[in-house]
Amino acid sequence: MRNPRVGWALLSPTLVILLIFGFAPFLYVLFVGFNQWNVFSAADGLVFNGLDNFRRLVFDDDFLHSVGLTARFAIFAIGSEVVLGFVLAQMLTRDFPGRSLFRIIHTFPLMVAPIAVGAIWRLLVIPGFGPVPFFLDRWLDLTYQIGTYPDQALMTSVLMDIWHWTPFVTLTMLAGLSSIPREPVEQAKVDGANRLQVFWYVTLPFLRPVLLTTIFIRIMDAIRTVDEVWMLAGGGPGTRFTGIYIWRVVFPRTDYGYGSSISLITLYLTIVLCWLLFIAISGRRKGEVE
Amino acid sequence: MSRTQRQRAWGYFGAYAFWIFMTLLTLIPIWWMLVVSMRTRVELFGRPNLMLSRIYLENYSNVLTDSTFQRYMTNSLVVSTANALLVMILALLATYALSRYKLAGRDNIFFWLITNRMAPPAAFLLPLYIMFTRTFRIGNWTLFDTQLGLILLYCVFNLPFAIWLLKGVVDGIPIELDDAAMIDGAGLWGVLRHVIIPLAAPGLAVTGILSWIFAWNEYLFAANLTSVVARTITTALAEFVTVTGTNWGELAAMSMVTLVPSAIIVIFAQRYIVMGLTFGAVKE
Amino acid sequence: MDNTKPESKTTEGFLPFYTNAFDRVFISVVILIGIHLLWLRFMEPALPIELATILSLVIGFFVVRRG
Repeated sequence: MRNPRVGWALLSPTLVILLIFGFAPFLYVLFVGFNQWNVFSAADGLVFNGLDNFRRLVFDDDFLHSVGLTARFAIFAIGSEVVLGFVLAQMLTRDFPGRSLFRIIHTFPLMVAPIAVGAIWRLLVIPGFGPVPFFLDRWLDLTYQIGTYPDQALMTSVLMDIWHWTPFVTLTMLAGLSSIPREPVEQAKVDGANRLQVFWYVTLPFLRPVLLTTIFIRIMDAIRTVDEVWMLAGGGPGTRFTGIYIWRVVFPRTDYGYGSSISLITLYLTIVLCWLLFIAISGRRKGEVE
Repeated sequence: MSRTQRQRAWGYFGAYAFWIFMTLLTLIPIWWMLVVSMRTRVELFGRPNLMLSRIYLENYSNVLTDSTFQRYMTNSLVVSTANALLVMILALLATYALSRYKLAGRDNIFFWLITNRMAPPAAFLLPLYIMFTRTFRIGNWTLFDTQLGLILLYCVFNLPFAIWLLKGVVDGIPIELDDAAMIDGAGLWGVLRHVIIPLAAPGLAVTGILSWIFAWNEYLFAANLTSVVARTITTALAEFVTVTGTNWGELAAMSMVTLVPSAIIVIFAQRYIVMGLTFGAVKE
Repeated sequence: MDNTKPESKTTEGFLPFYTNAFDRVFISVVILIGIHLLWLRFMEPALPIELATILSLVIGFFVVRRG
């Protein structure tokens, strides 16, 4: 009754667009990644140099440092977002007057353009007229300067990411929580489970697909963040995440070959990480009872 | 007051205290942007004052009356609306295909679609630039600096995301409904129109809204693949920092203005956003 | 997602999850790239890169056939 050809026909416009604007550029980057191509170098155009870019990459401390930094950024930011988002969603499932107002206000940061988010936070933390350094200095006697202290810059980007993306997590969690059927929860309560047990044995398993998918999407987007962090700190110390490092290699230094190979490795790491998560989402682990 | 009533009162009190605190945290950065947008350059320096001292609208009038700004705004509206519509249509068709037809390796297709969103943008700009200026060229016309180029390009990160969102929604619609409609003589379009679209409406709405917001907010591609004609509003924001020696007041004013359209949409579509974002949590 | 197993042919191999042929090729490629990068970092001056290629092809073959 359902002819697969019709299915392929329905899928084809999507595939065509993604092949042209997603896959073709990827092939190009793959090709350039194995070449030396630097506008400032003596050689003109592309020069095939085999694995030399990758040889340079695995010993490039700046790159390795940027990967570590990105990992720390993603873990801190996404960890807090998931916990906070879950708590907020749990609060929103209760019925109280003014609930939808709070929900709308809480959705606000999601709508702000990343570049504007960066601008807002820069306005908050810029030395000279930003209120954050001023009040930290006056009340707590702390010197706060994201241009000077890498840790402060990293924590500021994490906070910014939390501010920007927690609403997204809250909304997905809220949708997930509201689709949990009532009976198992009631049954568990009747059986004498306390709240923690209900959460651990009933709510969490139901929420697992939503939770993992949310984490999946957040990881993907956190790794490729460039514009908002760039706007915040201008690529200063502590915020040189992989995306920004690639940006610096490709644009000011115009080292396209090397930039492409870094992109390929970043993409490789992202895909491996996300693929493992995808396996977990789709429940393809053996010995798992559905 | 009985004990349960008192408990409930304290519950409300706790919830409100919590929410007021969260609301403050959420709104302080936006409030500060509003404050900055209503100050002159001189007033900004010195002791930071979180209060709004007076209503000063010159930054706004400077921004809004600028003809470049108006063009950027129109471009952004056209690009994000067209992109959201295109993404909704294509994603619905693709999701329906992935959900209902036994396509070879559809699990793999489903995962590999989303890898399009993972590419680090910086290095991919170069091939896209070449493609936009040289590959797609008819006479003097190129894809570079056109709205069409951006509309198609934004599909790369919006379409996979939309398919991921919609997959759960369409999977949640019982296949028996499709079959019943087909027995009644409905063709493919009939099924889509009378069964899938009505039942997937909240999911479709949230897909459209999020695609619209992502497209509206996109900066890197817009900044590098347009030059004059098709520039969008986010590129103008960045120009304030680099070109004019950072006029913070006007930058903040413009950020406020870019917030307005998405704010309107989200407020009106709030209901659908929660209903639609289930990521396949609905199991019958 | 209701599909516990992918519909394409899956085999009972040593990998801890159900895989089809495409998945196993993908895993082999991932292993191939990983081995090469580690080799470049830790082994290269002493042992040539071709050894890494041979090693990963062997592992890849094993994964595709038995995974």
